[in-house]
Amino acid sequence: MRNLARSKMNAFINISGLSLGMAVAMLISLWIYDEVSFDQNFVNYGRIAQVIQNVTNNGEVQTWFSVPYPLADELRRDYGSDFKYVVMGSGWGNHLVAIDNRKLKGVGAYFEKDFPDMLTLVMLHGDRNALADPSSVIISASAAKAWFGRENPLGKTVRLDQQPPLKISGVYVDFPRNSTFSGLNFIAPWEFFSKINDLKSMSDPWRPNFTTLFVQLNDHSDFASASLRIRDAKLKRVNPQLARKKPALFLQPMSRMHLYSQFKNGVHAGGDIQYVWMFGIIGVFVLILACINFMNLSTARSEKRAKEVGIRKTVGSLRSQLILQFFNESLVTVLLALVLALLMVLLSLPFFNLVADKQMMIMWGNPWFWIAGLGFSMVTALIAGSYPAFYLSSFRPVMVLKGTFKTGRNAALPRKILVVVQFTVSVTLIIGTIVVYRQIQFAKNRPVGYSREGLITVLLGTPAIHNRFAAVRNDLMHTGVVASFAEAESPSTEVYGSTSGISWPGKDPSLSVDFGQMAGSVDYGKTIDWKILNGRDFSRDFVSDTSAMILNEAAVRFMNLKDPVGTVLTWWDKKYTVIGVIHDIVMGSPYEEVQPIIFHMIVERPDSNSGNVDILRIRPEFTARDAVQKIQAVFRQYDPDEPFSYSFVDEDYAKKFVNEERVSKLAGFFALLAIAISCLGLFGLTSFVAEQREKEIGIRKVLGASAANVWNLLSRDFVGLVGISFLVSIPISYYFMTNWLMNYHYRARLSWWIFLVAGAGSLAITLVVVSFQSIRAAVASPVRSLRTE
Amino acid sequence: MIELRKISKWININGRPNFILKDINLHVKEGEFISIMGPSGSGKSTLLNLIGMLDDPSEGEYFFMGNPVHSLREKQRSHLYKQYIGFVFQAYHLIDELTVYENIETPLIYQSIKSSERQAMVADILDKFQIVGKKDLFPTQLSGGQQQLVGIARALIAKPKLLLADEPTGNLNSRQGEEIMELFQQLNNDGVAIIQVTHSEKNAAYGSRIINLLDGRIELTS
Repeated sequence: MRNLARSKMNAFINISGLSLGMAVAMLISLWIYDEVSFDQNFVNYGRIAQVIQNVTNNGEVQTWFSVPYPLADELRRDYGSDFKYVVMGSGWGNHLVAIDNRKLKGVGAYFEKDFPDMLTLVMLHGDRNALADPSSVIISASAAKAWFGRENPLGKTVRLDQQPPLKISGVYVDFPRNSTFSGLNFIAPWEFFSKINDLKSMSDPWRPNFTTLFVQLNDHSDFASASLRIRDAKLKRVNPQLARKKPALFLQPMSRMHLYSQFKNGVHAGGDIQYVWMFGIIGVFVLILACINFMNLSTARSEKRAKEVGIRKTVGSLRSQLILQFFNESLVTVLLALVLALLMVLLSLPFFNLVADKQMMIMWGNPWFWIAGLGFSMVTALIAGSYPAFYLSSFRPVMVLKGTFKTGRNAALPRKILVVVQFTVSVTLIIGTIVVYRQIQFAKNRPVGYSREGLITVLLGTPAIHNRFAAVRNDLMHTGVVASFAEAESPSTEVYGSTSGISWPGKDPSLSVDFGQMAGSVDYGKTIDWKILNGRDFSRDFVSDTSAMILNEAAVRFMNLKDPVGTVLTWWDKKYTVIGVIHDIVMGSPYEEVQPIIFHMIVERPDSNSGNVDILRIRPEFTARDAVQKIQAVFRQYDPDEPFSYSFVDEDYAKKFVNEERVSKLAGFFALLAIAISCLGLFGLTSFVAEQREKEIGIRKVLGASAANVWNLLSRDFVGLVGISFLVSIPISYYFMTNWLMNYHYRARLSWWIFLVAGAGSLAITLVVVSFQSIRAAVASPVRSLRTE
Repeated sequence: MIELRKISKWININGRPNFILKDINLHVKEGEFISIMGPSGSGKSTLLNLIGMLDDPSEGEYFFMGNPVHSLREKQRSHLYKQYIGFVFQAYHLIDELTVYENIETPLIYQSIKSSERQAMVADILDKFQIVGKKDLFPTQLSGGQQQLVGIARALIAKPKLLLADEPTGNLNSRQGEEIMELFQQLNNDGVAIIQVTHSEKNAAYGSRIINLLDGRIELTS
């Protein structure tokens, strides 16, 4: 203990470095625990699965997570022995929730009545059977509080999306943050959904895929065999044209829904699990770095204590007592670090939660947490303490006291290797962070083929705007802030629909395709400012444009049309003439190839099919806020019941990067910590070396060495080591980052300068850190170090 | 060559100056051989370090070859020092990691002398001291007398005008000590000024002048 107090600097570096590493490892462990325990709160976790399908499109197998709605009944009827529950639902999203005269927004979904039972929903009010009544709805505890305050919500009525009212017949405890269903404010009955959308009247109900379907296995069944049995359940029912897609159903177990959600060619291709591995590896490495530091410094320090050992031995200390002493010291240090690490985690967790978008807590009550923490401390203490304990305690006192004891030339070798390992990890992390960051920037700067600036999207809940389109447009233009206005099927950052019903002259009849489909009013292209490559845009001057189509380049390429303009296409059973081709526009993922898309027209007439959004371009001379106010007034006037809900296209586009940016932030954060830990270690080691070579430095100064000479002498070795680390880290990071970039079709090149920057950066950091000590040693007066005792 | 005027050196202990040297006036001519004697703690080594520019006086003026050392900047002082002064220590202070050859060569490196020239100079002095056969050995492989010989060779390699020796024979037996003293005598005859600190009357007698220090003051010179 007194030893710790005496060498304060050394102890500080040692303990803070180790606790920093421990804190990082703990944070990462919490994060990984949160990820792998996703959905595990559900009692039937091991028996629940989603029914999804592989379909063959455009020559490759794609995996779709939605299925046709009659499939639920089909599974219940013909495959009932496999399943305890079959529950179908709508996708979840934002809905307009009207309570009395208040209009609110809420996230909700429609599900069949067994949904609460399957997920063993905990009900605060009402019971799980509530959804059996198609005019009822259950809401979450947080929604109940937000919507009704302290009042009892049971029996109150709400109206969803201006449909007939539903009676609140239950309140459930909110889904945990790390579950698939987190954030659901309400669950309404599927039967209600079916009725208001008139699903029964659908002409070909097996065609569209729009429901999510969950099942819970019976006790005697298992995922693999049930998957096999239901495989062709859809294929048997679809029309011959869709049968060419060879839809194959299978079960995606709940345990894989979160981390293994990516498929390539119909088989699992990972998913977020890659980040679990990535951060897991980083965590282990950061911890190893910290341990290396700790052992390095402990052993380096202990050599200085050889003399102490000698004296202790001459006064009669037994070897076993010395061994015990060294182990005790290292254990106390490690435990101090553990306490400090817990404190750091406690303080940084709110920030970390913010970055990671999670709600993690230290699991004080979890015995494993303590076993892991203490077990790790023991092992670290044992390893760090073993060198001084066994090696130093073996010295013969006479040798040490006479001063003839010399640590051999090879004594420094393990330490050098450890420094190399540390900096290899650091440099690799720096390179990784730069690559991730650059990939995001690269995708952000990808030319999207249209102009996002000043473009806003207004969500339409009702056909009110569509039905008086010309008048709305007129009024909007009169405000003076709108440059252009159009209605569309989806925002320009998304494509809602896709179709397999397209065919063209020369198409292989056995080929099944899946094209994006997009409808827009006449001014759609003008509004988003797409670029016409061939032919012309839609026009009011041509009545025939209601059966005209515009293709993107990708579609033309896929159809292999030599002269696309004028080509007659068949879409289901109707003919369309291609009037133009546009430059590809990025509507889906900014990382993916642009898919073939067909554009057709929304007719500006009250009885026609309406779009889901309006798109407006604001004149650049107006601020967004002024413009939105004026636009809102017009929308209010024509659609007073619908809350005005709008977004800026550039913000929507930015949301596509949230995931990657989070990874980039986390990776950068950990890289920074790894570097900090390595630097702490380096700092400690230089001060040790400077001390060890104090006499030599003194001699050299007497022989005429300048401060610069001494600085050079001390820094050279470390710079060399960092240089080696750099060389080692190049192939490692090249391998990993090439692999990571393979996830993205549109990806940045792995330029050589990234490596150079990382290398130069770590070299600069090394020089700064090393210089602290070497300059101090260089300017010190040699008189003291050369005094003969 | 050396002119010390009213040189004092003190360190503050509990806020009070504690004198190590007080009012030292000393004049040394070129080619002199001076022995400094005195009991432990009388300030002999401090005086030697001051003359060697390894330490600064708290007060007083120091002229070396006509240059006011007390007011020179670090760089100029270092230049003077490298050009004219060589140091020999009681504990030899050879660099353990370097061979005999490299030890002797080191001062030349710090004076930016070209490699070929260095080779010639080191070879010359190895020959002169008759230690050519030992040039590839490390200091720990030599006897004390041999180590001190290397230390002196190193001090002389840059052809200094002044050799400062802090108890050069303190770690040696009498025969080795005698050899070193004879070497000093010879060097002095060749024109190198020598100032040595010593406890031994016999060794002090090699000098042309003896300075006795007591409690930081010069007691008497003879």
